Amino acid sequence: MTGNELAEIALRSLYVSGTATLLAALWSLPLAYVMATGRKLQAVAAVTEALVGVPTVLVGLLLYFLLSRQGPLGFLNLLYTPTAIIVGEAVLVTPLLVSVAYRVLRGAVETYGELALSLGASEAQAMALAVREAAPGLVAALVMGFSRAVGELGVALMIGGNIRGYTRTLTTAIALEVSKGEFENAVSLGAVLVAIMVVVSLGLRLVRRLGQP
Amino acid sequence: MDRKLLIIGVVLTVAALYMAMGGSSEPVRVRVTTTTSLYATGLLDYLADKFKEKYPNVEIDFIAVGSGEALRRAERGDACMVFVHAPSLEKQYMEKGVITGHRIFAYNYFIIVGPPNDPANVKAAENAVDAFKRIYEAGEAGKAKFVSRGDNSGTHVKELSIWKLAGLDPRGKKWYLESGQGMSQTLVMASELGAYTLSDIGTYLKLKKDGKLPGIELLYSNSTELINIYSIYLVTSCTGEEREYAEKFAEFVYNNQNLIGSYGVDKYGQPLFYPAEGHEKELQEAWEMLAKS
Repeated sequence: MTGNELAEIALRSLYVSGTATLLAALWSLPLAYVMATGRKLQAVAAVTEALVGVPTVLVGLLLYFLLSRQGPLGFLNLLYTPTAIIVGEAVLVTPLLVSVAYRVLRGAVETYGELALSLGASEAQAMALAVREAAPGLVAALVMGFSRAVGELGVALMIGGNIRGYTRTLTTAIALEVSKGEFENAVSLGAVLVAIMVVVSLGLRLVRRLGQP
Repeated sequence: MDRKLLIIGVVLTVAALYMAMGGSSEPVRVRVTTTTSLYATGLLDYLADKFKEKYPNVEIDFIAVGSGEALRRAERGDACMVFVHAPSLEKQYMEKGVITGHRIFAYNYFIIVGPPNDPANVKAAENAVDAFKRIYEAGEAGKAKFVSRGDNSGTHVKELSIWKLAGLDPRGKKWYLESGQGMSQTLVMASELGAYTLSDIGTYLKLKKDGKLPGIELLYSNSTELINIYSIYLVTSCTGEEREYAEKFAEFVYNNQNLIGSYGVDKYGQPLFYPAEGHEKELQEAWEMLAKS
């Protein structure tokens, strides 16, 4: 495996998992907000928490049936494309994002939101304060979502197909190298994967620290 | 704060989706499901690269799975071509009308490998069936183990047919382990455990050369009964531009079999696969026979 190929795979992994996390954030964060501020949707939290541990290969298989030519979404021609992995990983990390964001927001609403209300703030002001206090926790939720996405294998393999130069990610490349018996290559790829996770996590910590007054 | 985050999220997502969908000069993508043994040796990427020199706007997308899964995915319309080596399965799918345009393009051999001290005395076997009988007896006596792929791959299908010919059913026996993994991992497992297994010679040679298989060696090979035949098919449901280039790629592979015969010689001292060219008739006959079993 050449360095160029490794860099290309690593970049694709970053791009696919990063986009998937942001896509999932689009619906997960608003949902978590609604759940945390309202009273009606709290049962959803139990469901999403239960779904956090669903095996990625099962999510991959279900999505394969959806995206396959014979499946209900087959007409979109998404199977074996990077877009398919992005959508799949977004679905995969949704329960995690919702549960963590819900907890963070719920805590902030209970401590800061209600305090602000009792001190005479308007509803909107109180909620804005709660969200601001919850922001670091929400960022942490995004990092967790990204880590889950970048490290998962089942979805990327089932609906991406591990196509060289197109849908191959770090994890599917590791699976391929292992199946070839090239364990050393697999370890190098794994090291890159871990390095990405560490850098992203440290980077965000740094940003958060700089952001503080 | 969260509103800003959301806006950034939306913008990035839209941009990323746009990029993922691609601009106007999208290449033609030909989806090929293939057996792992052909892909993991690097042969298919090599052939695709050569093809690309002639057709730069075509991307051959290999999806490497076992022969069983390769055909199953083709049946669902998720591939345009298949590269497989399981004649009896291939025949079923041909009869169902899923695949057409059968072409044998390469072959090699299955081999029986096992621990150097050979407790089942496979080395003295008269044929593959006899070898499996010996392994069965040694297994029952607690002296030998056998690792099976257990994944409906071409090699697994072949292994099961030999057990059937021997009139034996090892499934569920303590000494019969189903790895559920690809050939390389199964070989490494057999090496670690000092167990017997059936392998294609290509994968075995590659790993042995790389020093990954200290615990096993080649014990039995036979050029007629253990022949391993690789075929190309086009998937009936595939149409349009993809179909057009799939046909061109099939043609290319078939007409450039010298590339197959020379692949790996420099590294492994012998080819991993032999071109079918010049042996078409015998291979077709052997294929018909295997398809019946």
